[in-house]
Amino acid sequence: MKILIKGAKIVNFDDIIEGNLFIRNSRIAKIGEVSEEPDKIIDAKGKFVLPGLIDMHTHLRTPGREDEEDLWSGSKAAAKGGFTTIFCMPNTRPALDNQGQVNWLLEEAGKIGIIEILPVGAITKGREGKELSEFGMLKKAGCLCLSDDGNPLEDSSLLRRALEYAKMYDLLIISHCEDKNLSASGSLREHLISSKYGMEGIPWASESIAVFRDIELARYLDTKIHIAHVSTKRSLQIIKKAKEEGVKVSCETAPHYFTLTIEDLEKSHFHPNFKVNPPLGNREDLEAIREGLKEGVIDCIATDHAPHSQGEKELPFEEAPPGVVGLELAFSLSYTYLVKAQILDLKDLVKLMSYNPANILGLKDKGYIKEGAWADLIIVDLSRSWQVLPHKLFSKSKNTPFIGHTLEGIVEFTICKGKVVYTEKGKNG
Amino acid sequence: MVNWQKKHILGIKDLTRQEIEVVFNLAASFKELSQREVKKAPALRGKTVINLFFESSTRTRTSFELAAKRLSADVLNFSSSTSSLSKGETIVDTIKNLESYHPDILVIRIGYSNSLYSLSQYTSASIVNAGDGANEHPTQALLDMFTVKEIKGTLEGLSVLIVGDIKHSRVARSNIFGFQKFSSSLRVCGPPTLIPYEFHKLGVDISYNLDECLPQADVIIFLRIQQERQTSSFFPSIREYVNNFSLNPERIKRTKKDCLIMHPGPVNWDIEISSQLKERIHPLILKQVENGLAVRMATLYLVGTQKGEYENTD
Repeated sequence: MKILIKGAKIVNFDDIIEGNLFIRNSRIAKIGEVSEEPDKIIDAKGKFVLPGLIDMHTHLRTPGREDEEDLWSGSKAAAKGGFTTIFCMPNTRPALDNQGQVNWLLEEAGKIGIIEILPVGAITKGREGKELSEFGMLKKAGCLCLSDDGNPLEDSSLLRRALEYAKMYDLLIISHCEDKNLSASGSLREHLISSKYGMEGIPWASESIAVFRDIELARYLDTKIHIAHVSTKRSLQIIKKAKEEGVKVSCETAPHYFTLTIEDLEKSHFHPNFKVNPPLGNREDLEAIREGLKEGVIDCIATDHAPHSQGEKELPFEEAPPGVVGLELAFSLSYTYLVKAQILDLKDLVKLMSYNPANILGLKDKGYIKEGAWADLIIVDLSRSWQVLPHKLFSKSKNTPFIGHTLEGIVEFTICKGKVVYTEKGKNG
Repeated sequence: MVNWQKKHILGIKDLTRQEIEVVFNLAASFKELSQREVKKAPALRGKTVINLFFESSTRTRTSFELAAKRLSADVLNFSSSTSSLSKGETIVDTIKNLESYHPDILVIRIGYSNSLYSLSQYTSASIVNAGDGANEHPTQALLDMFTVKEIKGTLEGLSVLIVGDIKHSRVARSNIFGFQKFSSSLRVCGPPTLIPYEFHKLGVDISYNLDECLPQADVIIFLRIQQERQTSSFFPSIREYVNNFSLNPERIKRTKKDCLIMHPGPVNWDIEISSQLKERIHPLILKQVENGLAVRMATLYLVGTQKGEYENTD
């Protein structure tokens, strides 16, 4: 299959050029004037072509809760949201903690083949924080990174062993930073608002205490570490300082942390769709996250896509599981609240959502549009907006606080390895 | 006749001072009704009130039950511990089931803080909060304030002290929001571990020293200490708590002569208050119980009869 994308503005993290882009089979064959006859022409005049987005942090609920999301619905949702590569977290039932599980998942993912699904292996067996899982076998099966996401490694000595052992296989450890004893049974940020309503709160220190410990270990051992879903000002101060001092730390945040605060949670009458972990912070945290994205302290925007069933989100706020769906919203949220709001430019966004994740995870020929790279591309129309309506989401779960919101920027086409895997309804490819 | 716009009574937070006064005026007349030989009014005849208690309670439930009966409503008591709910049926399922009986008022007691607004989305009945987690217990505060007003004549400018486990207390929160609407000054006193985070931002004075607080207070509300919370080590021992925060014959000398000493009940004697003070304290606590009935009649009457006049507040 040969596809010619005509007249688009091609966006990389370092440059925007206008021109034609020619795809042959699964690779980008040429950028510029093309004489070869294509099978398909996409007229992208006035549109932008971006490298396919890469999500370091997705929950696909497979195996175990396929009623909430499965590889098919998750892939469709990802493609619609502009993601061509997603990393699925191992907090499944059973956990992705051994070669067999990972092989099975990759085989199932291969049958679907819409976008690329890459598994994150569990650091410890059963994500129980007790014994290391078989890093080597996980690596062999195809894992590039490991995490016990949802759980921190409470035992510092075990985290030390994990960081050390991961060096042998060049595996990245992704850390869920939370002091669970301090968070206790909290369901929102500890704040005047939680106090006013008599709800158990999670202190902001719960995150930064863990961030600090993890960074100290990475510093001590001179290893890499990646901090998941950073949500507080203090965590960012610690990470910024560590980076300046040369610690090999990278981090991500999620769109809800630069768009919502605990005040929005209160305004929603504490709707479970606003419940996330780490919890929504205050205005200062939100501003710090935006600043961190601007300054480059935060390396990537990940979705932390966490589907939950209708029934689970009907539970009382304090009982409802945390998490929101994000694959279909992350790009538009980021574009609306960061680029349109003039905090970042489009190139920065490409860096945060594609170039940096590819680099952090060592993905070859992804995250940058150039001749010879995988033809993982999206075409977006930034002049149009859309409304978030639950029945239009491809994800099986509809738990998002943005229902009814109008967002800017629409993904019109998603191309993964040279194949058009998503076309916006009404668009003619 | 009365100016009442609220469909539900979910918390004192949401009530205006005027609405609270409406409750007081009605409560006064219902109190008088309960002193007659025929203690019944037909106000809620033909209406169905369901007492839906997801947490055990005898005092509040019986008070609401009697209140509804005195107003001639049909009353159904539904108790279900949250643990049996976890077997599969959710709270929402339970509400939807009961909705089939077309109840007019649901009186709900539930362990989850601030969970009633979302439940109100699943019923067309009015909801009266009979205590939701550590959030609010509005009828308790209304009866406390009603009692104070009855004795003091006003709520204006009083100095109100609340002592004990503020963090886990819905009674404390409802009273704070209530008394504040009448420009009373509020002070809470207890171990720092039981004072909620950033609580001073509510305009509440915070103290850890009961002896210092006693002389200024016009009203003191002692809260029940839940001894099971000890497991989380909010304070080292009951003995140490009693040393610091229990009202005893020595301490009571420091209070104003006309200071009202209240307790939402049941009292842990010799923990919150020394049993030597029983005779001094008990009459007012019993008055609270009596007024509780009148206040609950008033709230049921208001949400049960003023239907259709309020705008649908979702």
